[in-house]
Amino acid sequence: MDSKSFNPFEMAQEQFDKVADLLDLDQATRDLLRNPIREYHFSIPARMDDGSVKIFKGFRVQHNDARGPGKGGIRFHPQETADTVRALAMWMTWKCAAVDIPLGGSKGGVVCDPHSLSMREQEQICRGWIRQIARDIGPITDVPAPDVMTSAQHMLWMLDEFETIRGGKYPGLITGKPVGMGGSLGRKEATGYGVIFTVREALKELGIRPDGTTASVQGFGNVAQHAIELYQQIGGTVMSVSCWDQDDQTTYAFKKKDGINLDELRKIADRFGGIDKGKAKDLGYEVLPGDLWLEQDVDILIPSALENQINLENVNKISKRVKIIAEGANGPTGPRADEVIQERGIFMIPDFVANAGGVTCSYFEQVQSNMNYYWERDQVLGKLDVKMTSAFIAVSDLAKKRKLYMRDAAYVIAVSRVAQICRDRGWV
Amino acid sequence: MENRNKSVESLISDLKERAKELSCLYEVEEILNRSDASPDELFASIIETIPPGWQYPDICHAKIIYRDKTHQSHPFVETAWVQTADIRIQDETVGKISVYYTEERPCVDEGPFLKEERKLINTIAERLGRRILHQKLKEVFEERELPPKKEAEWWVILSLLRRTDPQLLLRISRKMTNYLCWSGSKKAEELLEHFSPAYKDKDSELFEDLNRPHKKEALHDFLHISEEVFSIAVAFLGAEETVSSIQKWIREEKSAFLVSILENPATSHAEIADAIGRYHHLDPDGSELSVPREKGFRVSLVRRLLTSQPQFVNVAKQFIEVKDFYDLLHRVIFPANSRGKLGGKSAGLFLANQILRKLSKHNEFFRDIKVPKSWYITSDGILSFTNYNNLEDIVDQKYKEIGQVRQEYPYVVQVFKNSRFPPEIIKGLSLALDDFGDRPLIVRSSSLLEDRMGTAFAGKYRSVFIANQGTKQERLIALMDAIAEVYASTFSPDPIEYRAERGLLDFHEEMGIMIQEVVGKVVGDYFLPAYAGVAFSNNDFRWSPRIKTEDGLVRLVPGLGTRAVDRLSDDYPILMAPGQPGLRVNITLDEIVRYSPKKIDVINLKTNAFETIELDVLIRKLGHEYPRINQIVSILEHEHLSRPMGVHMDFEHADMVVTFDGLMTRTPFVKQTHTILNVLQEQLGMPVDIEFASDGDNLYLLQCRPQSYGADSAPASIPKDIPKDRTIFTANRYISNGAVPALTHVVYVDGQEYSDMSTRKDLLEVGRAVGKLNQILPKRQFVLMGPGRWGSRGDIKLGVSVTYSDINNAAVLIEIARKQANYLPDLSFGTHFFQDLVEASIRYLPLYPDDDNIVFNETFLTKSNNILPDILPEFAYLADTIRVIDVAQSTDGLVLQVLMNADLDKAVGMLAEPTSDIEPILRKKKDTFEKKEAEDHWRWRLRMAEHIASQLDKERFGVEAFYVFGSTKNAAAGPGSDIDLLIHFRGTATQRKGLLLWLEGWSLCIGEMNYLRTGTESDGLLDVHIVTDQDIKKNTSYAVKIGAVTDAARQLSLKSK
Repeated sequence: MDSKSFNPFEMAQEQFDKVADLLDLDQATRDLLRNPIREYHFSIPARMDDGSVKIFKGFRVQHNDARGPGKGGIRFHPQETADTVRALAMWMTWKCAAVDIPLGGSKGGVVCDPHSLSMREQEQICRGWIRQIARDIGPITDVPAPDVMTSAQHMLWMLDEFETIRGGKYPGLITGKPVGMGGSLGRKEATGYGVIFTVREALKELGIRPDGTTASVQGFGNVAQHAIELYQQIGGTVMSVSCWDQDDQTTYAFKKKDGINLDELRKIADRFGGIDKGKAKDLGYEVLPGDLWLEQDVDILIPSALENQINLENVNKISKRVKIIAEGANGPTGPRADEVIQERGIFMIPDFVANAGGVTCSYFEQVQSNMNYYWERDQVLGKLDVKMTSAFIAVSDLAKKRKLYMRDAAYVIAVSRVAQICRDRGWV
Repeated sequence: MENRNKSVESLISDLKERAKELSCLYEVEEILNRSDASPDELFASIIETIPPGWQYPDICHAKIIYRDKTHQSHPFVETAWVQTADIRIQDETVGKISVYYTEERPCVDEGPFLKEERKLINTIAERLGRRILHQKLKEVFEERELPPKKEAEWWVILSLLRRTDPQLLLRISRKMTNYLCWSGSKKAEELLEHFSPAYKDKDSELFEDLNRPHKKEALHDFLHISEEVFSIAVAFLGAEETVSSIQKWIREEKSAFLVSILENPATSHAEIADAIGRYHHLDPDGSELSVPREKGFRVSLVRRLLTSQPQFVNVAKQFIEVKDFYDLLHRVIFPANSRGKLGGKSAGLFLANQILRKLSKHNEFFRDIKVPKSWYITSDGILSFTNYNNLEDIVDQKYKEIGQVRQEYPYVVQVFKNSRFPPEIIKGLSLALDDFGDRPLIVRSSSLLEDRMGTAFAGKYRSVFIANQGTKQERLIALMDAIAEVYASTFSPDPIEYRAERGLLDFHEEMGIMIQEVVGKVVGDYFLPAYAGVAFSNNDFRWSPRIKTEDGLVRLVPGLGTRAVDRLSDDYPILMAPGQPGLRVNITLDEIVRYSPKKIDVINLKTNAFETIELDVLIRKLGHEYPRINQIVSILEHEHLSRPMGVHMDFEHADMVVTFDGLMTRTPFVKQTHTILNVLQEQLGMPVDIEFASDGDNLYLLQCRPQSYGADSAPASIPKDIPKDRTIFTANRYISNGAVPALTHVVYVDGQEYSDMSTRKDLLEVGRAVGKLNQILPKRQFVLMGPGRWGSRGDIKLGVSVTYSDINNAAVLIEIARKQANYLPDLSFGTHFFQDLVEASIRYLPLYPDDDNIVFNETFLTKSNNILPDILPEFAYLADTIRVIDVAQSTDGLVLQVLMNADLDKAVGMLAEPTSDIEPILRKKKDTFEKKEAEDHWRWRLRMAEHIASQLDKERFGVEAFYVFGSTKNAAAGPGSDIDLLIHFRGTATQRKGLLLWLEGWSLCIGEMNYLRTGTESDGLLDVHIVTDQDIKKNTSYAVKIGAVTDAARQLSLKSK
């Protein structure tokens, strides 16, 4: 295939190279971190419902485990490629390092299409995957988790197979388990709360008291709802939220003069955070085109829906009043928009940091599983606050010190932490 | 006081009469009991006895005719004042008794005769008949007491017959002769001459001398011959077989009356019901009939009551026995002299039920399958209803303008609802209600058109649910109301339009009614089945290449099945392929939750209404009462779905998602439906669709008919020898059914270019551009063709990243799998938004251009003029990757047709003249609907647009120019299309306001007109876009349409001064 074509792994390497230049890393460190430290490619035979046997291709890529056991999901995807998995494994390394979680980066996958597989066949694949990799993963070496088209159910099958092979109980092998079966409480709230922990710290940094601030939120899903919940608790007022309307196949923004009421909106929203626009009107909400969430005259914007929502086309519509953008979603800001935001001096809390509550909670699940002792919800969320706050402070200190854009600072701190420990261990 | 005396007197005189009649009867009995008397003596005595029993003995004479011999009183005068009764022996009239008055007397019940006298004479005639029969039998037995000439059993039977029923003997002798001939007896052949001279060879006298009259053998000759026939038979077949044959034929004779009733097309259902009843008493289990005779009955009954379609009859005769009709007829309501049928729906279900019942012996899965209790009204019930209410004019309704039909329909419904039912129907319905009790009912249409196999008439007529609560009278009124509503739907605009399009308008439509008990249980104030759905034996919506057409498809919902039958816009049924139950459409938690049913249809017993309610609310409140809830929902907890366990479910707080996981994995439901579909398809010889419901205990079959196809999902026939330059692509893997006759635009995402894009951002931009195109290209007139998987998330190199809203206006979604290096990528089969595609009937097609024998016209797709830069200048830089082809512009006015046929596993995309019909579609009449759509709707819209322009005052509104574009201009408008107007505006703000108001008036007015024409409702039909000089200068927004290279807006002339 043409060499110029989009290759996620090459893209991840390029991104790394830029940071490596910034950090002036030596060649050996670059060579080590540009590539995965270990890769496993294997075949998984599975007996299909019709009696035939089909061989599936499986992967596990461990990019770097200098900071701790590898961590990363298992994807079931029909067009999975080794390069995709490599890129994602590398990203996991940086993501864990950015919030200073003592874990490395891994990713795995199976080339298969769950839409064409029965649950029994998927179970075969899950167990087969574990049989091939059992000796090379484990609670203290590499910890898988659910990802694209895999769920808690898949994790339980995998855990069961692993425990059968190893002859013991190892709930720390895997995360994403249901509560009561080795899962952690507080996972639902973790990402949304995490966003607000960082917002709170950002406000502190800017010398603004949270009470009296206003925000506009894109999305009304799990992350958005919990973010709003905590934001209101610290005294903020959410002026508008936007969400997808399934009937009209478009987005709407819901606005109320004195701020939205989370409880009443939750009551008229479906499971996916789609707000019933008729009922909202009855409750006195203004129903506006969805794009307008961005143009609100507020202090804080929290995009927590989809990628690429703030782009060159609309970035200039952001109100002069906006001081903070907290990325609740993954990659909501396009690269060209970043430049404008940086120029305008808006405080950007990048997704790496802002939505790291999820991965932090996964880490907590693993810790609890390894202890076989499970914390209460408040304990989980308390520890989350501590972890997120210190992660934020580290990144923002670096940004200030080195006059870096927050997004770059997060990347730099992640790579330098990994590079440092590789050096300390005497690897490079 | 006087009155009272009078009535006492008349009472006494009545009593005297009764006394006279009784003593007459006693005397007759006495005479008949004289065992030694000969018939002549008997007749003479009875003639004497009769006059004293009648009211006017002095002027009363009697006469008895028996076997050509007359006995009468002396003297005897024949007058016009006569009362007569037939004397019958074993159904044969052998004579009659007549009573005459010689003088005129005042008229009472029957002329001058009293009704009691009628009874009397009938009784005497009957007694006399029996006496004569008795006498004959006695003689036979006495003869037998004598030393028999021949001891053989057959001989005894024969002599018995000769005395009692010579006609029967003749017929049996004849049958035996035939039988012997077929069995090869030479002697019998000779005998045959006696029965039929024509049997002889060509040189027989019949042919030699046609003019000479045939010698007629006298009856008694045959009687002698019969003895000979049976002697031969005994010699040839043996005594045992001879006797058993005779017995069989005698038994068959018993049912002769049924033959004559059934074969006579003039007999009414009342007569048939009588005859069946009588036959049933003679032979309750039908065991006495020979196989061919029984078959004959079955066929006649099927033809008279169900349908005369040969295919149907052929299957039905194997499964429906005569006794099944006995049961059925008890629950058929029909007008007097009815000759109607039950109609398609009833017949289909009745047959399917019989098939399953007859096969349940061999298949355990059928044992628990039931059919709800049903009553039927025959198809001519509607005629008797309209006649009774003098509504004959209604028949002309179908020949009126569709607009008028639509306008008058609400009135028709009211008239029908306010009309009365004929008394015999009311009586029948009252019986039915007694039988049903207060169970909720559904009144379904069962018309003769629905009966025509192959005409997809699904859902065109009404079905009405009634709660059936209250007093008997209230329930009866509600039931009649519902039936009237269903009747009225025969005259509703939709079926009339549908019939007109298919040339079925002149078909004599009659509407049968099926009244069915609703399957379900009471849950709180509601009545509902645990679950219900429809199942198709052919799966036209495969979401995985592993699913085969014959794996079938089930659409399953909780509650009433109405939500599974119709495509829903706001909710989703659970889809499942019974042949591959493990392959689910929705895999990720998000998909499973998003595409699970959120609402439920129920009958509210309190309000007596059919309602759609939130499932969530129902289960929270009444989950514990809901039948088999554990099989229906899964519990969502901590992002993990699990089947509920045990009885301690916390319905109030648990997060529940309808998955039917328990039903599919823990019950035989999947096996059951799959087997039912297979068996019915096999027996009926065609794919079927069924409706079913379960009350939690049993599965009920509610409907069975040949698999119907929507207008767009019937298998299309693929023309042969399409010129190469007109073929855009062909396909032969994983094809579903459907035809899209007139695509005006192609959006082609070039796979190579797409995969060569170097940044993720560019890849995302392709998705955005497609989303924009989806908004501006004519709705449902374009095809999206792209590499790999539409809707890829994560790794979007594998396919364009779009959401459903980015593609929801496309007509066809095509995924192209090209070999890459050494592997062939899997396609998504639209799974990312599969259920949305299904509900919106967007067709899906996978292409494998690298396969052998496949055409993939890359030249057309990559070398045709790309209009993307013209219509979306901001995405011009993607022109290498996204190619938008205006088909008409690139081909001198052709359109792209996509024809798909799952049965052949073939599909083709070809260029065709826009006016040419799609080739006749298999199994279905030519669908002229699309043609009409293409020709009619846009012309009318253009005319309207021209008219509005001609009325628009330039000065008053500050309008510079007036354009029309989009589907109206492109001749592609459908019944619901907007009229896109573009107005070049140069006026003031006030003028602008005035203009918009003026246009809004038009918009509403034209919208209403369109509603009358097509039945499509809208909030107005005009879509007005205003552009200013500045827009035109900058070429922004819709201004690009003015003077555009392709698909330019068309200017219309404004009001001339």
